Amino acid sequence: MAPNRILCVAEKPSIAKAVAQHLSGGHVNARNVPGNQYIKNYEFDFSFGQPWGSCSVTMTSVLGHLTEVEFPQNYRRWNSCAPAQLFEAPIETTVAKDKKPIADNITKQARYAKALFIWTDCDREGEHIGSEVRQAALEGNSRLQVKRARFSNTERAHIVRAAQNPVDLDDRQVTAVAARIEIDLRLGAAFTRYQTLTLQGMGGDLAEKLISYGQNLPLGLLWFYSELFPGSCQFPTLGFVVDRYFRVKNFIPEKFWSIKVDQMRDDVKVQFSWRRNRLFDRGSVIVIFERCLAARTARVSKMQKKPTSKWRPLPLTTVELQKLGSMYLRMDSQKVMKVAEDLYNKGWISYPRTETDQFDKGIDLRALVQKQAQDRDWGPHAQGLLNGNFKQPRTGRNNDQAHPPIHPVNYVSPGTLGQDDRKVYEFVVRRFLACCSEDAKGEMTTIEIEYGDETFFTNGLIVLQRNYLEVYPYERWESSQQLPNFVLHEVFEPTEANVTEGETTPPGYMTEPELIGLMDANGIGTDATMAEHISKIKDREYVQTQPVGGGGRGRVPGNSVQQFIPTTLGVALIEGYDNIGLDTSLGKPFLRKEMEAGMREVCAGTKSRNDFLHETLDRYRDAFVRIQQQVAMLRAVRDPYHVIIFFV
Amino acid sequence: MAAFPSGLTSQIAQQLKSTKSLEPTATWLAAFLRTQKSTTPLQALVSTALFRLLASDITQNLERTPSACLPPDVCNVNIKERSLSGPIVVQVLGIDDMSKSRWEQIEAIEALERGEGTKGREIIRLPSTEDEGSASTSVQKGGGPHKLLLQDPQGLRVYGIELKDVEGVALGMHIGCKLVLEGTIVARGILLLEPRTTSLLGGRIEHLHKAWKENRKRDLKAAIQDNSGSARAGN
Repeated sequence: MAPNRILCVAEKPSIAKAVAQHLSGGHVNARNVPGNQYIKNYEFDFSFGQPWGSCSVTMTSVLGHLTEVEFPQNYRRWNSCAPAQLFEAPIETTVAKDKKPIADNITKQARYAKALFIWTDCDREGEHIGSEVRQAALEGNSRLQVKRARFSNTERAHIVRAAQNPVDLDDRQVTAVAARIEIDLRLGAAFTRYQTLTLQGMGGDLAEKLISYGQNLPLGLLWFYSELFPGSCQFPTLGFVVDRYFRVKNFIPEKFWSIKVDQMRDDVKVQFSWRRNRLFDRGSVIVIFERCLAARTARVSKMQKKPTSKWRPLPLTTVELQKLGSMYLRMDSQKVMKVAEDLYNKGWISYPRTETDQFDKGIDLRALVQKQAQDRDWGPHAQGLLNGNFKQPRTGRNNDQAHPPIHPVNYVSPGTLGQDDRKVYEFVVRRFLACCSEDAKGEMTTIEIEYGDETFFTNGLIVLQRNYLEVYPYERWESSQQLPNFVLHEVFEPTEANVTEGETTPPGYMTEPELIGLMDANGIGTDATMAEHISKIKDREYVQTQPVGGGGRGRVPGNSVQQFIPTTLGVALIEGYDNIGLDTSLGKPFLRKEMEAGMREVCAGTKSRNDFLHETLDRYRDAFVRIQQQVAMLRAVRDPYHVIIFFV
Repeated sequence: MAAFPSGLTSQIAQQLKSTKSLEPTATWLAAFLRTQKSTTPLQALVSTALFRLLASDITQNLERTPSACLPPDVCNVNIKERSLSGPIVVQVLGIDDMSKSRWEQIEAIEALERGEGTKGREIIRLPSTEDEGSASTSVQKGGGPHKLLLQDPQGLRVYGIELKDVEGVALGMHIGCKLVLEGTIVARGILLLEPRTTSLLGGRIEHLHKAWKENRKRDLKAAIQDNSGSARAGN
């Protein structure tokens, strides 16, 4: 009897290749696929679990999504319908033109197969791509059984286990993504067309007239490319940057005053800080200070020594990787993700898109630590963990039920990696080892004194055991100056007391870690797409980046944390929409956040696709109608070189 | 009217004075009683009178005997320290939190205006990137100390600062709220408020409170321009 044939399809060629290598044990034929130079069909034998047994396998891949969603022909021209109609117009899903050979390949291969195993990435988007693969395969063979491999890294044993324990495709996730794609199409098309038509209607002459009318016209005029219209995620992302920009621009410094008390003892100058920290009222500080001086002596009111610790980090999520990547590794989030994905495709680390910050009890962490013991730098620490220092990692609050936290799955000698790969790999490994280590331990001494009517304090820290910090140089925790001896209730005359003056400083422009944090807190994008949104607002020149600290003066580009400054265009977009006075402005995160929450509900099965679609579209339609009613506030004109805003 | 038993007026006055340190003028008391039914029991009359007094302007209706007022030179900055025996009733005309910059307060007001502080909608918050684990280096957070602009029955104005937290003194407190000062220390023209010497009677003056709230942002902005660090609490 001829062996069963099984067709496997991955999301990208690198995964197809890696999985084929692992399952075949190296005995694999690679065949070209007509019409696409990147896709290969890998043929080999593999024994799946029952009921399939020993099979001959064809492993191929797609290149992301196979299909695209469009309006039918009669809606596609700019003037074919009122933009508002695009909220209800029919839509069609077809295989994208450039993906036709890939889909054909799957259809053809499916004809001879008994079953289809889907190996797309295990996230929402991957689930949807899997459904597209299923569609193409069923066209070739309607009796095909469809399964999905559940995997989160390309380590050999993990892949073999995934191959032998397939699950079903999760149609809820498929549905949620399909709904999101539809919403993005409708919103993008309706808003873009509306703006473009508005600007065409104005013409250059009208624009010039408006300029000459000067201040008397109560409307804002924006010039921008219509195709620059930001998507529903980029709007709030840009909104954060613009909000911060204005906070910096509008900032007015103010003076404040404080009181410092010094005491020389055992040749150490002990500095006591005021419990009130600082006050913004000079007169009051002076009166209080005078009463301190009048009291002449201070009394030790509290002496406390207590153990303190600095907690080891939580298991690594995508959002943290992106934030810390730009803080510690000086890479922007998109770059970090690209490198991490590369490391994942090569089998060195687990899937880098995850929200989970808790390790499953079943995972053998010691075995993973063991693999790192051979490294020259962090090997000794790993060995120390194996020799008894191992601690079960802290458990965070998030679990996406799909992927474990990012961790190293195999050891690779850093010397064999490129510079960026090495930095990210080292960070992932060190973070993982830090998670499995003990908290850093220290002792904190607090001395409090009463002087006049006021309380002052000083802290002294002694770091006793560095523990996780040994392997995690990204964080600092240092012993402070040693405090001389003070006795409770002791009365002394302070050596010196002063009023100090300071001034408030503006916040910094938005940095990438902050922006990621804000997007995460407000549910803008997913861990998988945040970096893309950020990179998009840069590409479209809504924002510019510059190194923190002004930049320019001989700094190596890309070698410090970047901060975002909105361009005139970026500011114009946000102000334009804010001026329309939408209750829930598109520039604010609320609309998008509700949409993300809706998607989660669809995935969880607590909301139907239709309810989700209609609720979301209704909200945006409201916004759309408001914009239309107040057209005078927002006008767009094409101008290839200049972006000018007029507040006329 | 005028059907009240004799001595009732003095009974009411006596009670207001002994329990609340309030000494309404005889004119005010007489006018008040004319609006009341003669059958109303004493305690109810006292309560109503108290409520009216707290909701009104003390410069209009309290006795101005020297002992019930601030010394005329209370603001003299050359006097390092003295104690007011009191009791003296004052009303709050303005309040400020000295631990917050004006700009910080303006930003908070504007966030509220944009609806970002209200319930039911997510507040845009800045997640802290600071390490959660390390022992907190305790610098006092939260509100205060506060600076109040106070006014006595003769209309004299003086600033008072919270030397120790006084319950009920907060940014949200009502303008026109009445305080009783007893044994309060004045240093360089500023009253030093602490629970031992300051008690709140409550109340508010509606039109002043409304105006204060409406003008708050404008006042803060004006105060920033004059960045001298003084004249914080009011107008």
